[in-house]
Amino acid sequence: MTTDQAVDSVASTISSYLETKAGGPVAHDADLAAAGVLTSMVAMEIVVFLESTFGVSIVGRDLKLDNFRTVDSMVALVTRLRENPDNA
Amino acid sequence: MPDTLPAEYETVLADQADAWDAAGALPHDLLRELGKRGLLCAQVPTVHGGLGLGSGANGELTAHVGALCGSTRSVMTSQGMAAWAIQRLGDPEQRAALLPDLVGGQLAAVAMTERDAGSDLSGVATEITPDGDTVVVTGAKRWTTAATYADLLVVFGRHAGGAAAVVVPTTAPGVTIEPVPTPLGCRAAGHAHVELDGVRVPAGNVLGGGGPSLALLVTTALAYGRMSVAWGCVGILRACLRASTEHAARREQGGKPIAGHQLVARQLAELYVAERAATLACEHASGRWDARSPDMVMAGVLAKYSSARHAAAAGATAVQILASWGAADSGPVARAFRDAKLMEIIEGTNETCQLLLAEHALTTRSLP
Repeated sequence: MTTDQAVDSVASTISSYLETKAGGPVAHDADLAAAGVLTSMVAMEIVVFLESTFGVSIVGRDLKLDNFRTVDSMVALVTRLRENPDNA
Repeated sequence: MPDTLPAEYETVLADQADAWDAAGALPHDLLRELGKRGLLCAQVPTVHGGLGLGSGANGELTAHVGALCGSTRSVMTSQGMAAWAIQRLGDPEQRAALLPDLVGGQLAAVAMTERDAGSDLSGVATEITPDGDTVVVTGAKRWTTAATYADLLVVFGRHAGGAAAVVVPTTAPGVTIEPVPTPLGCRAAGHAHVELDGVRVPAGNVLGGGGPSLALLVTTALAYGRMSVAWGCVGILRACLRASTEHAARREQGGKPIAGHQLVARQLAELYVAERAATLACEHASGRWDARSPDMVMAGVLAKYSSARHAAAAGATAVQILASWGAADSGPVARAFRDAKLMEIIEGTNETCQLLLAEHALTTRSLP
């Protein structure tokens, strides 16, 4: 798989998860915070989802809401953590 | 589920809980001993010297202790929450440095609440100010459980435009621990108001370097605290059920045990249902926790809310069943009545939990 394909796969996995909860499509650049749905509880759920799905560990300074505002920002976070697995 | 509370502690907790409650203090040595055996924060991974229990097994341990002594269980909640905060918010070096201490006899408390910051975190005024290789912590925390016993405090505050949790030794200059004189419940849990007056600690004590949102930091720490309180309430419910059934089967009025009177029998049925409902809610939430499923977050809120509501109601019911036997300000039922009320307030009041649950019900329908 090329890097682009890997990113696409992460993105579609994340949007599938959000769509299951939303009951509808979620654009990759849709701002969940602006839509008023990114409460700290929802963000925490997303943290656990990303960790268990992608085998990463989201701790310390990565626990900021900006990382969970859009599918794109979540993909960027997961991609970075997978490249630097020493944080686990 | 294997029982991890050694028998000698079962005996001492059962025998001494009333005396500790009356004195408003637990024996420090006992807490250190429980700490060294890893029992105060039993989910700390074995790689750091902990027992490495899952949420469900730790929950049963918490309920077991909670049925015997609510104050000791409160100390477990604090120590466990401190350990969880370090595990989640700390970097690998901090985890390796601090977690072995928390299963090595050091005691820890979490300082979160302030005068103007209970449910509303935007009121947090504690400042963690970077200054070279150090940070300076200034603020006033209230109702910090286990603070009178603690060697370490995990203090939440504002930091560099964001937020942070910082580990502060209670021996550091500028730390003042002022015990809460007469807590309504969990009277021996070491509740205190904590003053932090320009307390200087190494910058390396800021968990994960800090920076992220206060709401997410606190939500992370509370996720553990809510599970611990919920299981503690299961313990309260079991203590109430045990005392009530024993009394109702023995005490005779009108020529038969009061359990044979229908109005009392209904109360026993309600106690039993409450204990089962809380246990099932906790088992479900712990199962989701151990499976690392995203719905562990709301399952934890639900478990905490429903267990605390059931425990508070059960405390009152048990006093009613025991009547004059339950009216002395001592014994498992009196402690349950007082301790359970605090469980409707701590780690998210009933009302805060209701708002979260309502928000959850709405949010799952409104994602874009």
